[in-house]
Amino acid sequence: MNRFLRQIESYWQQLRSVMGNEYRTIFSDGGVMLILIFALLIYATAYSLAYAPQVLRNVPIGVIDQSQTSTSRSLVESFNAGPNTYVAYNPTDMEEAKNLFFDRKIYGVVYIPSDYEEKLLGGQQAVVAIYCDASYFLMYRQVFQEVVTSIGKTGAMVEFQRLIAKGANIPQAQAVTQPVIYQAHNIFNPYLGYGTFVMPAIIMVIIQQTMLIGIGMIGGTWREHGLYHKLCPPGRRRMSTLPIVLGRGLVYLSIYAVTCFYVLALHYRLFHYPMNGATGTILLFLAIYMAACIALSIAVSTLFRYRENSLLLLLWTSIPLLMLSGVSYPREGMPDWLYNFGQIFPSSHGVNAFIRIQTMGASLSEVFDEIKALVILGVIYSGLACIGIHLVLKQEQADRCGQDAE
Amino acid sequence: MGFLHNTFAVLEREVQRLRRQPIYGVLMLALPLTSFIFFAILFHKGVARDIPIAVLDEDHSTLSRKVAQMIEDTPTARVAYGIQSMTEGERLMREGRISAIVQIPAFFEKNILSNTQTHMEAYVSGTNITVNGLLSKDIQTAVTMFGAGIQIQLLTKQGLTERQAMAQLQPVRFDKHVLFNPYINYGYYLSPSFMPMMMLIFIVMVTVFSIGTELKNGTAREWLRTADDSVGAALLGKLLPATAAMFLLSLVMLTIIFKVVGVPLNGSLALILAGTLLFIVSYQSISVLIVSLMANLRLSLSIGGGYSVLAFTFSGLTFPIMAMYPAMRAVSKIFPFTYYTDLFVDQMLRGAPAVCSLPDLGGMALFIVLPLLCLPRLRHICTEEKFWGRS
Repeated sequence: MNRFLRQIESYWQQLRSVMGNEYRTIFSDGGVMLILIFALLIYATAYSLAYAPQVLRNVPIGVIDQSQTSTSRSLVESFNAGPNTYVAYNPTDMEEAKNLFFDRKIYGVVYIPSDYEEKLLGGQQAVVAIYCDASYFLMYRQVFQEVVTSIGKTGAMVEFQRLIAKGANIPQAQAVTQPVIYQAHNIFNPYLGYGTFVMPAIIMVIIQQTMLIGIGMIGGTWREHGLYHKLCPPGRRRMSTLPIVLGRGLVYLSIYAVTCFYVLALHYRLFHYPMNGATGTILLFLAIYMAACIALSIAVSTLFRYRENSLLLLLWTSIPLLMLSGVSYPREGMPDWLYNFGQIFPSSHGVNAFIRIQTMGASLSEVFDEIKALVILGVIYSGLACIGIHLVLKQEQADRCGQDAE
Repeated sequence: MGFLHNTFAVLEREVQRLRRQPIYGVLMLALPLTSFIFFAILFHKGVARDIPIAVLDEDHSTLSRKVAQMIEDTPTARVAYGIQSMTEGERLMREGRISAIVQIPAFFEKNILSNTQTHMEAYVSGTNITVNGLLSKDIQTAVTMFGAGIQIQLLTKQGLTERQAMAQLQPVRFDKHVLFNPYINYGYYLSPSFMPMMMLIFIVMVTVFSIGTELKNGTAREWLRTADDSVGAALLGKLLPATAAMFLLSLVMLTIIFKVVGVPLNGSLALILAGTLLFIVSYQSISVLIVSLMANLRLSLSIGGGYSVLAFTFSGLTFPIMAMYPAMRAVSKIFPFTYYTDLFVDQMLRGAPAVCSLPDLGGMALFIVLPLLCLPRLRHICTEEKFWGRS
């Protein structure tokens, strides 16, 4: 029992020494502070500002109206009436429309033929041609949706009037014109805001990436200058591995607790992102997610020999990791094995769980699969972190003994 | 003559350095290639299919099953769950198992058969607007087709021919022409944007590292002396090998984009190549500016890295620049990547006339002025020892 207490006492002493040393390291190093503390704040703000208008409205389109009748003009007006498009130009022919298009003045063209009114009044089918550009997806979607909806509504109106003219009563005419009223509701993000969609994922990925790079930078510095032995409190000869991993982890956790508090409490309100998660659920999830990220980062950090290596080698992975989480690009569109490979990174689970907790208001039991995966990853990476630190300490000691001998 | 001679001397020294340090091979070959292959595989399918959804059928009739089957038959949607209540559907959605719920109300068939208007609802999750867009479109199409089928039956019962019925139920028909990227393939516009994005990160990293490491290791004066104290020659000789290596790498990238991913080349390859070269040089120029101002390897890497990652958002490929606030639209101009993506949309997908791409080439070329402005500062930090050894 006595021995056990002594062991605890010694671990506690080491833990305090490690934590003090870690805070000193971080706050005396501008480069590390920039990544571990400020990057999250800067990126969250920069991206949110770029996406702040959230939705694309009033995409300019061109209409070639060969009909020039009141019937065709009412169709043109219906394109203007919707929120997503406006008729910016009335080119006289396709050639002119093409030039406007290449100059990026318009992003879609509607061609109304000269026989438009004649056909409609004669009870025949009129054909309108739509040319839209799929080189920018959001533009394509807005233009296509608006134009097709307008044409559909105009058509339904004409059909309705024809039926009434034939002597049908209103309910009958309605039932023939539109037997099934279809309504689609976008839930959790009713206006399909771009920031609301992508920011939760970006924030989760930034947390993991800044930890990987920042902690990697500290690890690289220590190895480059042989500083690991400084962790040893005075009067002790050897360091235990566990207090190092635990102590460092607690320090990073405390720092991210502050920055994440800012992002989730203030930043989220500032940019009106949905906050449907229960506070307790978010806190527990974030603690587990960060623990997994920190363990991964400490494990990886023991591999870097130089200070700048983590940044050089890891920066590029941010975008691929965001993709692997299946948010920006749907997981059904990528090969299954690649998606499964992505599961070894905490971010893949973190992004999915966080969106569901914070945007959809999921409870802990509803994100249980992700939490379980994060705990497993956390345990594995903690093990690897301990092994890594142990090996680095041993090597450094061997190097110093070698130097002492010389 | 002297300038060329000095440049060549530095160039020789630089090639030696690139060969000696393995990190350059990793940054200019191994990692970029890995990232290109990653994106080629990621976008290989190009489209998302069979996204799971749930159907809440409160009618349990032939017609309700028919409309559910028509939704199932669309390319994007897969009816993975038949649910008994909305609560169950909401739970499945929060568990991440489905992306949409389609609700078919009771008396659906009865209303249709008795010629009364009925309704149908879909609840599509907006948390992923890419998935939302695909699902909304396909479910809507399926329901519209189902409605049209009923209309035709009603009208033919009234004695109209099928042709007349078609004209009656759809007085205005539209002919859809998708210009450029007619397959609406994600791969076609995401590969040519993500691969150059990876390239620019590595260009910035390599350039900052190759200059910054001279400061860190205190070899800056020797570097300058190799150029016979001509800072212009020193810089040119230092940058050229990386420019050449990165340009070769970009040829590999373009080959992957055109031959493996299969992106069409509707415009001018010459303009794309010229633009790619300018793209590389413009990012090298920005890196020189950053490292000259910071005079510190790690800080320059952090700032250069931070700057390079932002480029994607501000290029307007996903969220269009047109929709951004005016201040953010101005910010988008400080990233050469913005001009480069305009160029590839014009020259790969659209086949726009060359005139349309000249402003983009000009925009990128402007960045080349930056290193000329900071030559004096670069000379200063290379000769003052107080800037050395800081990492």
